[in-house]
Amino acid sequence: MKEVDLFFGPQHPGITGNFSVRVKIDGDTVVKAQAIPGFLHRGFEKLMEMRHWMQGPPLICRICVPDADHSETGYSMAVERLAGIEVPERGKYIRALTLEMSRLSAYLFYFAGYGGSIGLYTIAQWAIGDRDYLLDLYEELTGARVYHIFNFPGGPRWDTPEGFEDRVDKVMDYLEKRLKEYDKLYFNNMVFLKRSQDVAVMKKSYAEKMEVTGPNARATGWAIDVRKDDPYAAYPDLDFELITQDEGDSYARVMQRRLEFQQSIDLVRQITKKLRSMPRGNVRLIPNALHWKIPRGEAYAAVESSKGELGYYVVSDGGISPYRMQVRGPSISHGVQVYEEMIVGQRLADVAALMFSLDVCPPDIDR
Amino acid sequence: MSEQEIAERIAKFPGADVEVLRKGQIAVKVPAEKGHDAAAYLKKMGFAHLVAVEYVDWIKENEFELVYNLFSYKMKMRAFLKVRIPRDKPEYITFMDLWPIAMTHEREAHEMMGIVFRKNPNLTPFILEDWKNLPPMRKDFDSRKYVKDKYDSIPFAEGGEQ
Amino acid sequence: MVDDEKIVSEDMGVQVEKNENMEMRSFGTVKRWATKRSLWMVHYCTGCGGIELAPLMTSRYDMERFGMHPMVTPRQSDVLLITGYVNIKTLKRIIRTYEQMPDPKYVIAFGSCPINGGPYWDSYATINHLDKYIPIDLYIAGCMPRPQSIVRAFEDLMDMIQDGTADGYMRYKKYYEPYKANQEKIFRKWW
Ligand code: SF4
Repeated sequence: MKEVDLFFGPQHPGITGNFSVRVKIDGDTVVKAQAIPGFLHRGFEKLMEMRHWMQGPPLICRICVPDADHSETGYSMAVERLAGIEVPERGKYIRALTLEMSRLSAYLFYFAGYGGSIGLYTIAQWAIGDRDYLLDLYEELTGARVYHIFNFPGGPRWDTPEGFEDRVDKVMDYLEKRLKEYDKLYFNNMVFLKRSQDVAVMKKSYAEKMEVTGPNARATGWAIDVRKDDPYAAYPDLDFELITQDEGDSYARVMQRRLEFQQSIDLVRQITKKLRSMPRGNVRLIPNALHWKIPRGEAYAAVESSKGELGYYVVSDGGISPYRMQVRGPSISHGVQVYEEMIVGQRLADVAALMFSLDVCPPDIDR
Repeated sequence: MSEQEIAERIAKFPGADVEVLRKGQIAVKVPAEKGHDAAAYLKKMGFAHLVAVEYVDWIKENEFELVYNLFSYKMKMRAFLKVRIPRDKPEYITFMDLWPIAMTHEREAHEMMGIVFRKNPNLTPFILEDWKNLPPMRKDFDSRKYVKDKYDSIPFAEGGEQ
Repeated sequence: MVDDEKIVSEDMGVQVEKNENMEMRSFGTVKRWATKRSLWMVHYCTGCGGIELAPLMTSRYDMERFGMHPMVTPRQSDVLLITGYVNIKTLKRIIRTYEQMPDPKYVIAFGSCPINGGPYWDSYATINHLDKYIPIDLYIAGCMPRPQSIVRAFEDLMDMIQDGTADGYMRYKKYYEPYKANQEKIFRKWW
């Protein structure tokens, strides 16, 4: 049969954001694919060279939109390592709280996106609606819904408001209750099972070869997690085990997130419990924001974002702004090369579904 | 294993200049022509994963620095393998044979810094589209001047002030 | 330009002298009223702002109560929402999308980036003023604006459509040459 060239995106509802794939199809089987990123390129790495150290988080948080806290925290940690400062204990816990809440909201977005791409719109409505409760908590804590600009080098901007922990717990109880309903509606739904089981299987050896990280790697049975391998914030003190799946297909990738969602709820509960028992107040070391000079050197800091390892390599020449900063977005591996190889042999209808199931985040490829 | 022990093991590679940066991070400097061998050596030692390829423009020294950011899940340790190449002749060899994912990272470095990786078949435009200027991450590319010349000089189509 | 579009800011109550225009005018009013109650929006998330469209389209802010709905193809849509920063590569697609949309069409710029560059004012990749390249009917300031302000913007857009001041697509035709010249200046080649 004749092969047809098809542009999938950027203006397409099945694309995670502003991204494009050029697929060659034979019938409706994909024979070749080429990912075209770059529609969201802003040149953060160049911009950071023109900003002060403290002006980083307001800019950096825009690297991955659904998961903004991980972006700013990664940068802050790299700067802290370079300057050799340690965040106060309570600051670390608040940081971990914002990170886990960010993971929860990113996973809800993920459920909605994957559900939408296979035609289950109710779950999209539910998950986005429930995500708003988390955004409301963020709004109370930081003043913003999406970009919180909260985790600065030296610690979070301020302490939690009075009674915040209780409200967080309430939302966690609600989400846990909802998760049971999600199970009925979504995770045991026949449409979902048929569309995801045995689709686009990723082997463990392949994941290791292509440096896939995050939930995608854990869904293949490879137990890696930056929270365990290179611990940061309050994670060394928190009690959690890595969850893995063995199948590595789309179903496993979604279920991996579903199980980790439960785990994140537990983690948030542990954190709020600890926060309640801690003396309030000391959350942050405040350097002089405008003339903060960082000693020469280079540092790398990685966080486990909801998509995988998000790392920052920061070089200082002793000045008031970074000499060079480079971002390692998680999607650079599973969004370009891995995606291009995995989509071959799949049906056209899975082009979007696979992109959602791998959780490709175009802005962190483009920066 | 502690950082010190690992550093000593790496230092056995001829020509390697090893420095422990901080907990869990080791920097390894090697001459450019030994880069590939050193990478293979590190990979065999256990630094089996290429996290990213970083590129820094040291314009005063007239050199580009390539930093291969390696991680070992066994030792929980990061190694930064650094090589320097001259700025006037930015050419290096691809590491695709060791880590296939290097293709994407090198493609990006080629576009953003103008470094040519020999034997990498896929050095096509990646993020930018019909870019004809200096590669943007170079230090001598002035973003503000570029914006001023290119975007701010354009008049409003319907008249009116800037 | 079509006849009924010429009569801006006049409504049905106003007495007109020539009888033959009467029908046209009241038809225009009805048409504008109908247009404003069924705005379909191109489903294109151009920047960070795309993330606020999800809550907007779902139950909490519920855009559909205004008769608005995301539409997958530009050829059936009325509103192009530019959700955030526009870099050169995207701008090309935006213009392509915009030109595919049938008249009447409206553009809303969402966030401070399309207005004047926002936090990326000195970035080599993003264009700073979107209104140099396509006409914009309405701006929403903020970084990023909340869903409420998008809802408010749509209400304003509806009023503007009713009284005929949302005339971006007419301006695009009137100033077609300068707009095209500006676009040509920053693209090296089209495709
Ligand atoms: S205005 Fe702010 S939120 Fe909107 S696109 Fe620009 S940076 Fe992003």
